[in-house]
Amino acid sequence: MRQVLRIARDEWRQWSRSRLAWVSSALLLLVLVSTAVLTFLQVAQETEARSALQRQAHDTFLSQPARHPHRMVHYGHYVFRSPSPLAAFDPGLDPVTGQTLFLEGHRQNTAAFAAAAAGARLGGLPALSPAVVYQLFVPLLLIVLGYGAVARERESATLMPLLMQRVSGGTLVAGKLWALGATALLLTLPVAAIGLWATIAGDSGWAALGVAALCALYLLAWCAIIVAVSAVFRSRHSALAALAALWIAAAWVVPAVSVDAAARTQPVPGKIDTDLRMLAELREVGDGHNAAAPAFARLREDLLAQHGVERPEDLPVNLRGVVAQHAEAKLTRVLDRYADERMAGETAQAHAARSFGWLSPVVAFATASRALAGTDLDNHHRFMREAEALRFRFVQALNRIHAEQLAYTDDIARSRDAEAERRTRVDPSAWRVLEEFRFRPASVATRLQSAAPALFMLLAWLSLALAACAWSARRLETSP
Amino acid sequence: MLSSIMGSLRREARFMLRERAMRLWLLVALAASVIAVSAGSVEVAAQRATIERLLTADRADRAAQLAQQSDWGSAAYYASHLTYDPPSALAFAALGERDTMPWKHRIRMLALEGQIHEADVANPELALVGRFDLAFVAAFLLPLLVIVALHDLRARERQAGRLELLMSLSDGRLWALRGGLRGMAIGVCVLLPGLVGGVISGAPWAALAALAAVVLLHAAFWTVVCVVAAAAARSAAVVLTVLIALWWSTAVLLPAAAGAAIERAVPLPAGGEIVLLQRETVNDAWDLPKETTMSAFVAAYPQWAGHTAVARPFEWKWYYAFQEVGDLRAAPLSDARRRGIAERDRLAGAWAWASPSALVERALQRVAGTDVDASQRYLDRVRAFHAALREFHYPKLFRDEPIDAARSADLPMWSPGLPATRARR
Repeated sequence: MRQVLRIARDEWRQWSRSRLAWVSSALLLLVLVSTAVLTFLQVAQETEARSALQRQAHDTFLSQPARHPHRMVHYGHYVFRSPSPLAAFDPGLDPVTGQTLFLEGHRQNTAAFAAAAAGARLGGLPALSPAVVYQLFVPLLLIVLGYGAVARERESATLMPLLMQRVSGGTLVAGKLWALGATALLLTLPVAAIGLWATIAGDSGWAALGVAALCALYLLAWCAIIVAVSAVFRSRHSALAALAALWIAAAWVVPAVSVDAAARTQPVPGKIDTDLRMLAELREVGDGHNAAAPAFARLREDLLAQHGVERPEDLPVNLRGVVAQHAEAKLTRVLDRYADERMAGETAQAHAARSFGWLSPVVAFATASRALAGTDLDNHHRFMREAEALRFRFVQALNRIHAEQLAYTDDIARSRDAEAERRTRVDPSAWRVLEEFRFRPASVATRLQSAAPALFMLLAWLSLALAACAWSARRLETSP
Repeated sequence: MLSSIMGSLRREARFMLRERAMRLWLLVALAASVIAVSAGSVEVAAQRATIERLLTADRADRAAQLAQQSDWGSAAYYASHLTYDPPSALAFAALGERDTMPWKHRIRMLALEGQIHEADVANPELALVGRFDLAFVAAFLLPLLVIVALHDLRARERQAGRLELLMSLSDGRLWALRGGLRGMAIGVCVLLPGLVGGVISGAPWAALAALAAVVLLHAAFWTVVCVVAAAAARSAAVVLTVLIALWWSTAVLLPAAAGAAIERAVPLPAGGEIVLLQRETVNDAWDLPKETTMSAFVAAYPQWAGHTAVARPFEWKWYYAFQEVGDLRAAPLSDARRRGIAERDRLAGAWAWASPSALVERALQRVAGTDVDASQRYLDRVRAFHAALREFHYPKLFRDEPIDAARSADLPMWSPGLPATRARR
């Protein structure tokens, strides 16, 4: 053990003499800190702005004047998706998904105004975030620091003497790994700081801890890969070329290929596509605005029979309101089925892309980081579902008011008779049926569960790389 | 003179192809490009198939809706129209913004601001990563391949113990020739599959020439950088690190920083505000005196001044008039947003001159018609189409004409070549 530490100390001394090591570390730290600060400010600002808009939308709805309740069904409501505090580490899907959703009767809209669709496009990455720095660039720094770890000793002919001083190949590789690994762990300290802040801001401490652990696991896997490659190649330079090629493949090629492969093997039809198929089906449901439509004849008959009356005018409830309730419920079942189908399709597509984590630790890291930060696809789907649940509840609450508080005779006369129209307006206090919408981050259990497969992949990567280290260490002794 | 250059070229080409590492890099470049071009072509074919399928379903839906309507007002209310921006012949090379920006909308005669911001876009998890298209290979991978292949030109000779001899024999032109040949060979490997794909899909010659010029210039740029860097430092490892750092700063760091700075410098009106304002105006109109709406409408459409009397609590002409007034009210904000997006794009184009990779990607997207500008022009055409729909319906609504099945066949039809004249300014 003492020998391992001595080798690690030697390695650090070596770095401290290299200008390249200093400059690249300083550059990376600068990028990391400025990215962290900028992302933090951005998320704080977004959170603030969206919760203000959410409050405003709620107040506007409540302050609407007296009117026909069905008007409020069409007036609708806006909900905004607040980012989780850990989005300051990984904004994930937040910039590429719409942040606001319009809720109205008879329709499920898509989330509109994704930041990426209006951003300045300079190609490459959508935006830098601490997660992207850890995902792509900290490994690059580790490569620059570590590519020569073993190869340098071999090249400068210090490897043989070392091995002859009763330092085993295993000890040597372990020492180098120690030097690089300790640095990697040191580099995860900023994540801990971000995590601490997110915990104070109300996110789960366990999720924050999970993000820090994820970074440590990921960087350690890279360290093991780097040391193994450094021990295998004859020259420092070929080790560097090999590591550069590996990084290009893992960070740029595999992720891009994963997207195309997923899009090709698991195609998901677009919104208009499914909407058109759905509309064909909905023509069967009938238009809830038209209580005389044949689709509602049965409902009408049943209702009349149930109350023992002949004409809708004699019912104790407003037939139009009952039809609106019935039609909305039936319609929503169809809408939900298509929405579920679409989300399941997107999830399957995402799973296909994520399985490329077996080919690149970068993909596995990105998956786990989004899941732990609560900014992944599941989170967006949960937002859509919670918003839809809210939509259905307030629309049906308004329809119930329509059925129970409005006279049928006024209701059918209102587009001809101004007096009847006035009587169909209900008091604004009724608008309080709208519940407050607060989108909270997913629970830790959910996040850990969706991060688990990717974490498992990273563990496999680490074990594989450590095995490669052990193999290369033995090989050092047999053919130094 | 010429023959001696040709002779050295042939000799260098022989050397190049004899090296295992170089053969590997050329193969990687070729394979990446073939994969990118075929993936892009598959995606473009899928988009074309989607448009075909949507057109059929759209016609069926509209016919079914129109068949049930008994007046022009409800016909306009229920009939939606598919609009789309078909991929160009070169779109496979740069799928560009088509993953994040909508290229299809279904529009009806209601207030347009409530419809045009809906986004029918791909799975966000895939949009986040971006496509493996030819533009990506040419802009981001090509420099890395050139760097990895060229950084050790001198170091390898030194290792083989030939460097001193070579230096004494030549005047530096050797490195330019050797580096140039290898760098351009990688460029050609990236380019060829793109040209083949372009010829198959029937892209115009000018576009193919532009594609070739962009890719080869980019390869030439990095070749020069590599040859200069290799001459400046002794250790191949230092050369490689410096070159990768250079690539990283120009291809990754600068675009990200410039993008963030531009977005801060050019704020956009929040999308939420546009739709909220539009909704407020449209909904308030129900409670306003009808004359208020109609006079606001007539201010924009004086030709209907004599037809604005609304007798019943609900009339379609009044309904569409307040839809239009909602759009008119939201127009300043909406225009400001559109101008902001264009301004951001203009600044991004200016900053791209500092980042060769960004410049290449943007240039290819422009040639392929998949850039921000193309997407904005599509949205302008959608606006023009919506104006045509209104122009078709207003005479019928304001003169209270009975619906005529034969005349609904004259409904404006979307065509991707529709001129994008602005309806209102």
